Amino acid sequence: MVSAKTKLTNPMGMHMRPANLFVSEMAKFPCDVKIIFGGKEVNGKSIMNLMAACMKTGSEIEIFCDGPQEQDALDKAVALIESGLGE
Amino acid sequence: MTYQGVGASGGIGIGRVVRIVQADLDYSGVSFAGSEAEKERFQRAVEAFCAKTQEMAESMKTRVGEKEAEILSGQIMMLSDPFLQSQVEEAIDSGLCAEAAVDQVCGNFIEMFSSTGDELMGQRATDVGDIRTRMLELLLGVSTMRAAEAPAGSVLVAADFTPSMTVGIDKEKIAGIATEIGGKTSHSAILARALGIPAVLGVPNISKLLQDGQSVIVDGSKGIVLAEFDEHTLAEYEHLQQKEREAKRQLDAYRDCPTQDASGNRFAVYANIGKPEDAQAALEYGAEGIGLFRTEFLFMDRTSLPDEEEQYKAYIAVAETMAGKEVIIRTLDIGGDKDLPYLHLEKEENPFLGHRAIRYCLSNPEVFSVQLRALLRAGALHKNLKIMLPLITGVEEIRAAKELIETCKRQLQKEGAAYDADIPVGIMIETPAAARIADLLAKEADFFSIGTNDLTQYTLAVDRGNAKVEGLYTAFHPAVLRNIRDTITAAKQAGIPVGMCGEAAADKKLIPLLLAWGLDEFSVSPAAVLATRKTISEWSAQKSLATAQGAMELSTASEIESSLESST
Repeated sequence: MVSAKTKLTNPMGMHMRPANLFVSEMAKFPCDVKIIFGGKEVNGKSIMNLMAACMKTGSEIEIFCDGPQEQDALDKAVALIESGLGE
Repeated sequence: MTYQGVGASGGIGIGRVVRIVQADLDYSGVSFAGSEAEKERFQRAVEAFCAKTQEMAESMKTRVGEKEAEILSGQIMMLSDPFLQSQVEEAIDSGLCAEAAVDQVCGNFIEMFSSTGDELMGQRATDVGDIRTRMLELLLGVSTMRAAEAPAGSVLVAADFTPSMTVGIDKEKIAGIATEIGGKTSHSAILARALGIPAVLGVPNISKLLQDGQSVIVDGSKGIVLAEFDEHTLAEYEHLQQKEREAKRQLDAYRDCPTQDASGNRFAVYANIGKPEDAQAALEYGAEGIGLFRTEFLFMDRTSLPDEEEQYKAYIAVAETMAGKEVIIRTLDIGGDKDLPYLHLEKEENPFLGHRAIRYCLSNPEVFSVQLRALLRAGALHKNLKIMLPLITGVEEIRAAKELIETCKRQLQKEGAAYDADIPVGIMIETPAAARIADLLAKEADFFSIGTNDLTQYTLAVDRGNAKVEGLYTAFHPAVLRNIRDTITAAKQAGIPVGMCGEAAADKKLIPLLLAWGLDEFSVSPAAVLATRKTISEWSAQKSLATAQGAMELSTASEIESSLESST
């Protein structure tokens, strides 16, 4: 298992469009993707879970990837979040 | 009978009632057919849902617009979510039929989304509710009559309309809309306005009070629904409808065309708004931007100041709605006739000449910087926000405000928050002082907006709330007109954009003068956007120049007004 800490930078936070982008990119990797935010665990491959977590711009999160291609998945996840999730 | 509601889309609709009633979704008679069989039924319903919704999204896109279509594509993503699906399958494994499993899982998500108290999440809760209803219909094999199936001349009546109920709605067939739930910003209202269908929302029990096939009149301008009316009333309304249609047809031609005068010179018509949700109406009326977003609504009718997050949400909502178009946001313009009891402002002898607007903000930087931070952050998304400072009388006020803005930027930078580092900062020209030194102000401001209501009052020293002197209040006074002219000239010389956001910008008689002097942007109420664009199109550069010259040679307000009256 690998993990990394990062911060949401896109202005609208994790709403529909950014969440969809994140989920569809993560679906390409076979490993599990989890996000810890505000002490809660969020399934990084579920758009419903991501939206319900209500992450805002500036929210600090930790991403965990576990399974095949975990490092690639983690790098991609961090890059997506840091680039502002397409916004 | 007259039923009162909220007029959400103007115009008069006359037709026969078609009630859209939700089909019975009671699944208590469904028995569990075994885990495998229920999962199979669920998956088949999901496939049917996605295929149908995709089709609806495509049709929405061409008929109504991108935004409505996006709501439907979002529903596909949500139902396709592996986490949601695994929850439904788990519920089925615990012995629930597919209907009960969908109902339960969707119910959990609705609760989760609504409990966040976030507006965007609230919309997602509505989406999940719609998914639940349509999945249950598919599983139970029942269907709700949709707006698309209504015959020509129908007045649609429902408790409320969900996005899926109104898919495929044909504006040629639907004469009007009446609902029990919903205000000016609900899905039904936005849809009705986009399609130009008269709508009255929020009429208690209307779907039970009216019968299918009954003749009704929907007056979307007054917000009333009439049933059981006499022939005289009908004839009157038919006449009114005819007149409205004619006027609308003429204006509609100006909705999607650029603003230009008869000589082909380009101008812009923006809208003035007071609430974030008005931005939608401004777009629907063809506004090319927001020339004045008054922020007072955020501060009024409450007991304490709104925090940065609340303000940010309001500003970003407008930025998002107007994406690709400019939004000029005026900072807090409090004082004068606008009091906030919770600030305990001192009673002043002369409130209009007192500690108000930019003066209050600069002496209360802890209040002002909350608003500035929210504006800077909200500008980051589409880079389409502009900050406008009210009641400027001198250069030092712009400098002080800009300094505070720079401090806010440095704080945001340190906090790692996204913000618009290049947000333009402009000023209202609404005092004679500002008009007199417009050339000096133009060196420090990124843009001007002339506020004619206050400029007139201050130039003529007339309190327009005082009946004894209100006759003296007129924008046609040569002193007011000279102030406007000189302000525009100063802006032109400095090469900064200049707009006008007072009532004068929509005045047919004043428009030729403003065109002649080179005003760039006319900001008017949303409902006046098309008429203003039409008036602009009727003036050639030559004719407006001659008209302005003639008018400015006259000596009194009444001479000027009547000369302009005769030339329009």
